Amino acid sequence: MKRLLCLMLLCCTTMAQAEIIENDPRIKIRTIEPARDVGYTVGDVLTRTVILEAPSNLVLFDTSIPIAGSDKKRRGKGSGIELRKVEFEKHPGATSNRYVLRLSYQVFTTSVTAKPAALPAEYVKFGGKNEKSFEFRIPSWNFRISPLAVFGSVVVERDMSDFHGPWLLDDTFNRHVLHFLLILCAISLLGLLYVHGTHSWLPRMGGPFARAYRDLKKIPATAEGLAQAVARLHRAIEATAGNSVFSTTELIERKPAFVPIRADLERFFALSRAVFFDPSASPGIEHPMDWLKTFCRRCRDCERGLK
Amino acid sequence: MSTSTPDSLLADWRAHALKLESEVNKVVIGQQRPIRLITIAIFARGHVLLEGDVGVGKTTLLRAFTRGIGGGYERVEGTIDLMPNDLVYHTYLGEDGRPHVDAGPLLRQGERLAVFFFNEINRARPQVHSLLLRVMAERTLTAFNKEHHFPHMLVFADRNQVEKEETFEIPSAARDRFMMEIPIAVPDDEAVMESLVFDTRYHDVDRLIENVQADILHFDRLNGIGLAIQEQVQASPALRKYALKLWLATQNPSAYGVQLDDVDMSRLVLSGSSPRGMSMMLRAARVNAWLNGRAAVLPEDIHAVFHATLAHRLVFSPVYEMRRTELARELLTHIIKTIAAP
Repeated sequence: MKRLLCLMLLCCTTMAQAEIIENDPRIKIRTIEPARDVGYTVGDVLTRTVILEAPSNLVLFDTSIPIAGSDKKRRGKGSGIELRKVEFEKHPGATSNRYVLRLSYQVFTTSVTAKPAALPAEYVKFGGKNEKSFEFRIPSWNFRISPLAVFGSVVVERDMSDFHGPWLLDDTFNRHVLHFLLILCAISLLGLLYVHGTHSWLPRMGGPFARAYRDLKKIPATAEGLAQAVARLHRAIEATAGNSVFSTTELIERKPAFVPIRADLERFFALSRAVFFDPSASPGIEHPMDWLKTFCRRCRDCERGLK
Repeated sequence: MSTSTPDSLLADWRAHALKLESEVNKVVIGQQRPIRLITIAIFARGHVLLEGDVGVGKTTLLRAFTRGIGGGYERVEGTIDLMPNDLVYHTYLGEDGRPHVDAGPLLRQGERLAVFFFNEINRARPQVHSLLLRVMAERTLTAFNKEHHFPHMLVFADRNQVEKEETFEIPSAARDRFMMEIPIAVPDDEAVMESLVFDTRYHDVDRLIENVQADILHFDRLNGIGLAIQEQVQASPALRKYALKLWLATQNPSAYGVQLDDVDMSRLVLSGSSPRGMSMMLRAARVNAWLNGRAAVLPEDIHAVFHATLAHRLVFSPVYEMRRTELARELLTHIIKTIAAP
C-alpha cells in the first residue's frame, strides 16, 4: 500500500514538474486576481491583471494576445465566461521587458445552485533573434458562480455562510405604525401645551404683556409712536383685566399679581392722561418710550408670576 | 370774587364751590355723592330729578344748597288735583271780603328764584308736567299778559319710586329735560344712621339749615361762571371719540358686546341717550373736572356723572320697564366696563 502511495506521489510530482517545464523559466509571471472568488452571478465582470517579465532578447508577439469576445469551449459547449476586454501595455527595460495584460471577463452563465467556474488559462507567444518561438501559459483562476435567487426552502440555521449578514425581518408595517404614533403623540403634546399655556406654546408665555412688549419694540419713538405705544399697553391691561381699566386700583383688584408695580401703574395712567386727554399734565417721565418698554417688561414679569 | 383772568376766576369759584359742598355736608350727613352731583348740576346749570324714599332728607338737602347759593327757594307738592295755574297764582277772599289774586310759587320770587323744588312730581297731572317742562326748557312763563323770566332757576323734582297708585309716570321726553336723576338713599353707615336718629341737632331742620353759611355763592353769577367753566375745560379728540362710543353703545349695546344676564339685548333698549342727554353729560363732566382742579376732561369725569346723567334717559321695552332702575344701572356699568379709552 505504501508503495502504491509513493508511486502515486511520484507520478503527481513528475506531472507538476512537466507543467512547470512547459513555461520558459526565463519568463516571470505575476497575477493580480479579483478580490473574492465567490458570489458572482450572471452579468458580473471579473478583471485579472497578468504581469510578465521577460529578458530583452525575448519579445511577446502582439498577435498572440487573447482576443476579446472569445469564449473557451469545452466539449463543444461554451463555458459561459466571455473575455470582454483586453488591455495590453509594454514597458521596455535595460535588461528585461515588462508586459502588463489586463483581462476582463463577463459571466454569462447562471445556476440554481452555486457552481464552480474558472477564468480560463490563456497562451501568449514569445520569440526573438536566434530564439525559437514558444508559447507561455497564463494559468486559469477558479471561482464560484452563485444563483440569483434561493432555490427551494432555505433552512437558515444550515446556511452558516459568513459572506452574508443576518437575515432581517420585514419591519415596514411596524415602522409605519411607529411613525404614525409618534406624529399623533407630537400633535397631542403640542395641543396640550397650547391649551394649558393659555394660547401660547408654553404656560404663562405669550400673555397680553408679552405680545405688547414685542409690538412695542417695533413702534418708533415719535409722538404718534408714543400714543400708539400707550394705546397698545391699554389693550394689554384690558386683556389682562377682562374689561376696560381706567385706574391702578381697578387692575389690582382684579389681578393682585400687579401689586409690586403699583407705583409704575400710577405713572403709566398719568402718562396716558397726558398723552390722550390732558396735554398740560406732566407725568414726569423723561424718555417715555424707553420707560414704556421697561414698564411693559415689568408687567410681563408680573404676568408670569416672576415678581 | 372778581378777578382779572378767567383762570384765577375759576380757581376762586372752585374754592367757593368746595366750601358750599363742605357746608352742606355738615348738615346733611352720609350723602357725599348726591351732594357732589348736585354741586355739579348747579354749576352745569342743569335741572335735577331726585329719586328717593320719604324722609331721607331731600328737602333739607335742597334748602341747605339754597341757603348756600342764595336766591329764592320755592316748593310745591305734587298731588293728583294740582293744576298748572296753582303754580302760577292762587285766589282767595281777603279780610276786606273781596277776591284777591296772589303770585303762585313760580312767580313769587320773580327773577330771584334760584331753586324750585317739585315734591313727588309723578303725582301731578301731565298738564302740570307740561307747564313745568316749558319753564325748565325756556326759563320763561307767560302769565297776566306778561312774560316772566327765571334766568337763575334750577328745578329739583322728586319722585317716589315705591308708590305707584294715583301717579302719572313722567314721559321720556319730560325726563330728558332733567340733567340728572340722583338717587337719595338712606346712608348705610351705622354711625351716620345713629346720629340721624339720636342727635338732636338733626331734629329741627330750620335750626340745622342755619348752620350753613349763607350766600357762599351768588346765584345771579352762576350762569356766567357755568359758561366760563364750559369754555375753559377742554375735551381732547380722544375723549370726544370715547364719549361718542359711549353714546352709540347706549343706543345699540349688543353691537358693542354689552350683555346682561337674563336680558334679551336685542329687545332691551328702544331708545338710547339723546343728543341733549350727551351734551348735558359732557357739561357735567367738565364741571367735575373743574371741581377736581383739572383743565381737561378725563374718562373718570365722564364716569362720575355717567349714571346720573344718562340712566333716566334710556327708554326700555315695556317688558323691562318695571325693572328700569336696576337694568339702567347695570347696563351703564357694563358699557363703561366694555368701552375702552383710548
